[in-house]
Amino acid sequence: MKTSPWFTLALGAVFIFGVFVLGISLFRLQVLNVADYKEEQAKQTFRTVRVPGMRGRILDCRGRVLAECRPSHSIRCYLEGFRQRGTSSNTVAAVDVALGRLSTLLNRPRQVSTRQIEHHVRQSSAVPLVVWRDLDDEAFARFCEHAADFPGFEDFTDTERVYPYGELAAHVLGYTGRGDPESQDETPIYYSEKEMRGRAGVELYYDSYLPGAPGLRRVVVDARGFRAPVPENSADGDVPPTNGPDLTLTLDAAIQLSVERELRGVTGAAVVLDPRSGAILAMASAPTFNPNNCVPRLTSEVYASLTNAPAKRGQNRALSESYAPGSTFKPITALAALAMAWMPEDEYDCKGVYRLGNLRLHCWDRYGHGPMNVRSALEQSCNTFFCNLGTAVGSNAVISAARAFGLGQKTNVDLGGETSGVVPDDTWKRRWYNQPWYPGDTCQMCIGQGMLLVTPLQMAMVAATLANGGKVYRPFLHARSGEARPSTLIRTIPFSEESIELVRSGMKDVVDIGTGRNILVRAETSPQTGRRTRYRLNVDCAGKTGTAEIGRGATKRKNTWIIAFAPFENPTVAIAMIIERGESGGKTVAPHVHNVLAGIFGETVIQSGRAAMPGIEGRD
Amino acid sequence: MFNALLSKFKRMDWLMTACVLALIVMGTVFIWSSGSARQSASLQTIWVTHAYTAVFGLAIYFACALLDYRKLLSWLATPIYAISLVLLVAVLVFGAKVYGGRRWLWFFQPSEVSKLAVLLFVAHLFGRMGRESFRWFMAGLLVLGAPALLILAEPDLGTALVLVPAVLAMLLAARVWTKGLVTILLVGSFAMGAVLGTVYVAEGKPDADQRARIYSYVPLREHQLKRLRVFLFPDRDITNTGYNLRQAQISIGSGSMWGKGLKKGEQKSLGYLPPSVSMNDFIFAVLAEESGFMGALTMLALFLGILLAGIRIAFMSRDDRGRLFVIGATTLVFCHLYINVAMSIGLMPITGLPLPFISAGRTFLVVLLAMLGIVQSVAVHQEED
Repeated sequence: MKTSPWFTLALGAVFIFGVFVLGISLFRLQVLNVADYKEEQAKQTFRTVRVPGMRGRILDCRGRVLAECRPSHSIRCYLEGFRQRGTSSNTVAAVDVALGRLSTLLNRPRQVSTRQIEHHVRQSSAVPLVVWRDLDDEAFARFCEHAADFPGFEDFTDTERVYPYGELAAHVLGYTGRGDPESQDETPIYYSEKEMRGRAGVELYYDSYLPGAPGLRRVVVDARGFRAPVPENSADGDVPPTNGPDLTLTLDAAIQLSVERELRGVTGAAVVLDPRSGAILAMASAPTFNPNNCVPRLTSEVYASLTNAPAKRGQNRALSESYAPGSTFKPITALAALAMAWMPEDEYDCKGVYRLGNLRLHCWDRYGHGPMNVRSALEQSCNTFFCNLGTAVGSNAVISAARAFGLGQKTNVDLGGETSGVVPDDTWKRRWYNQPWYPGDTCQMCIGQGMLLVTPLQMAMVAATLANGGKVYRPFLHARSGEARPSTLIRTIPFSEESIELVRSGMKDVVDIGTGRNILVRAETSPQTGRRTRYRLNVDCAGKTGTAEIGRGATKRKNTWIIAFAPFENPTVAIAMIIERGESGGKTVAPHVHNVLAGIFGETVIQSGRAAMPGIEGRD
Repeated sequence: MFNALLSKFKRMDWLMTACVLALIVMGTVFIWSSGSARQSASLQTIWVTHAYTAVFGLAIYFACALLDYRKLLSWLATPIYAISLVLLVAVLVFGAKVYGGRRWLWFFQPSEVSKLAVLLFVAHLFGRMGRESFRWFMAGLLVLGAPALLILAEPDLGTALVLVPAVLAMLLAARVWTKGLVTILLVGSFAMGAVLGTVYVAEGKPDADQRARIYSYVPLREHQLKRLRVFLFPDRDITNTGYNLRQAQISIGSGSMWGKGLKKGEQKSLGYLPPSVSMNDFIFAVLAEESGFMGALTMLALFLGILLAGIRIAFMSRDDRGRLFVIGATTLVFCHLYINVAMSIGLMPITGLPLPFISAGRTFLVVLLAMLGIVQSVAVHQEED
């Protein structure tokens, strides 16, 4: 016996010690540090997927739906059903082939390219790839019939944006596209689908308000990043999305419709405000477009049609284009002068032309209006009177009056793309033209020409301010419900009540007996009988016409304006409308403004060849 | 005749048999669980093959137990050793190349067979008096060295790693040149420490050229160096070379006290624990994930049962040959267990080595059962002298 029993026992001790060490290590791993490893395992196994909520609707002030989401049939593809051995390009090829077969069966072109499949397989193979969005009923029915032959493909209901009234308020509403959602800071999101995002109009401006809160879904992924079969309790930690809130606008679809009808076929814009708050009742720009053509994706053809000059259908001329205001600026000149010691009864004799050095400025009445005071000059829109007036009181008074009305500044309306317009002064002219301010510039500005530029929205604000007796409200579109008053008073214009009242009376004369008579009264000649019938608005109103001459020679044209408000006492509607390349404000624009106001307040027959008829049906 | 067989049967160590049976059942269950996550039908049903192999192996186990090991040693030790050497050469020439190594000859792995052959031959050689001299020590080194070098050439570092301590334990027990052996062991541990230290220092250098120059002094292959690096710095490269270890640790750690339940281990079923190793070298990770700390502890207890039963048999045996063989066999099983579990939890560098009874591997299972059958034979025949 040469081997020692002690060695055997020592070996046994080594065994026990070794197993003990393993046991302790396992205890440390599996019992003491279990939380770390469980967390690490969850981190690599679970991916969070962002689930968008349904985008809120856009309503007009009476609850009519201007934009909403409709269900759309879509097909998605689960990639794990197509995974192949080897490199990921084999999987891509398998999906590609199946998609090609499906495309042939449905007889619809593919919406997803091979490169997109490749990108999806590499980047987000755990979430399904949407291969057809918004499939028509026929193709969808065919898919449902043959779904069993296409394992891995699944139909699901998605939503698409739809604008039930088509072109109505297209520039205000805008449209949506699909894009990546904004990153969220709290939970790390691994995957997110392309979500509906506002691209223009209030869809863009309220893009953080409309979508609602996104939900979260957890997906189990395997080591290769593909979605794995769902284990039990997989819904733990999922957060359902909440649908977006409705956005109620101040727009009134009925007024909007009548404004757009009046602008059909011309290039121009119009804004209707509530002078008591600044709420925008209608905002239209012509020519217009149908936002339904812009969803779900803006194709390059549609994009071109929106941006190509000269139509620029996508441009909201009501606030992103600026024009010379022409004679619609004269009430501001009048107020500036009345504040500077020009008396209401002070007269100036119009001889048809105004001379200032070499400058000869013609009045539209070649033979002259004769002696005029402020009120009658407004009524007749006498250029020489206002040139003289401006020269008498100085440019600075006119400039500060224009700025008090909010001209030359953005209105900060809740809509993008706004331009500020220009109220020129000496500094401005030196900077842009490298020339000093000449007295002729004052003359030009006083009659709304020259370098002065305004947007139709700003002119609607001027009309509203004159209507409500001097309060400048910020125009707005979002009618917040509840006690929070949405209207924001920016300032009160620094003119006396008497001056404002005088100008308002002058503007009433414009409508009653002056250049803007077509605003108040409409004449219609019956084609059968040849008899003329005249209709008058059911309310008194006030307004100002404007005809701004632009360009020289061949490009010479006239942009024609009306600003108006009604009823004369306690006005509820203020309107500004411009039509490019018109004849004159009184002839071109005034009948359209009459129709808009008639749509709101109604009109009555005042004179007819036959028995007087009551108001026209449908106008009331 | 029948009575003699029956009395032999009764003298078997039933603790060891019970532990072996329990471990085989555990192994079959977890191979089934691992296979269920795989696509191919042949991998899904590999547990059936494992069970059949276990039945075949158990038959050999009992046959070996009833056979007199002394006759076995004197008749077969030398030829088996010779044959295993031939097979080890043959596998290098004809073997199928799998995962960068030649380890397979037809349906079995010669390196597994050589474990048994070496243990038998060493027990046969040194189980007699008068072989304690330095010359015999050199002979022992040759007996171990020849197959060990052939195995390293495959390369199969794991098998070499368990064979060396088993034979060293036998030589120590046989008191072959004890002083020298202890010295060698000390020098060996020092050398290992030096290698690890060198790698540690080299990794501290930011300059790649400097690192390469230091590594040129270390007699290890590139993949072995990589494993040492992962062992020393497990967090440095968790997506590449350290991936298996990291995922094994996550599997085991997330198993917690009671486990996730059979077939419910996500690490395995989702493929984070690489499917190519989840049935073999890393099956402990699957076991620990699905049966938790309690399951792992049960497994350790069963192994301890086998080891302590072996120690008892060695202690009771009056025959040096038998005692030597039992010491070699238990040390081998212990090394397998320790290295496999320790590498799964990051206590040791990663080495490809199966977990006895649990890992899928037919050759090893049969060899292991034959080995423990011979251990039983030592227990059965200790009285007759």
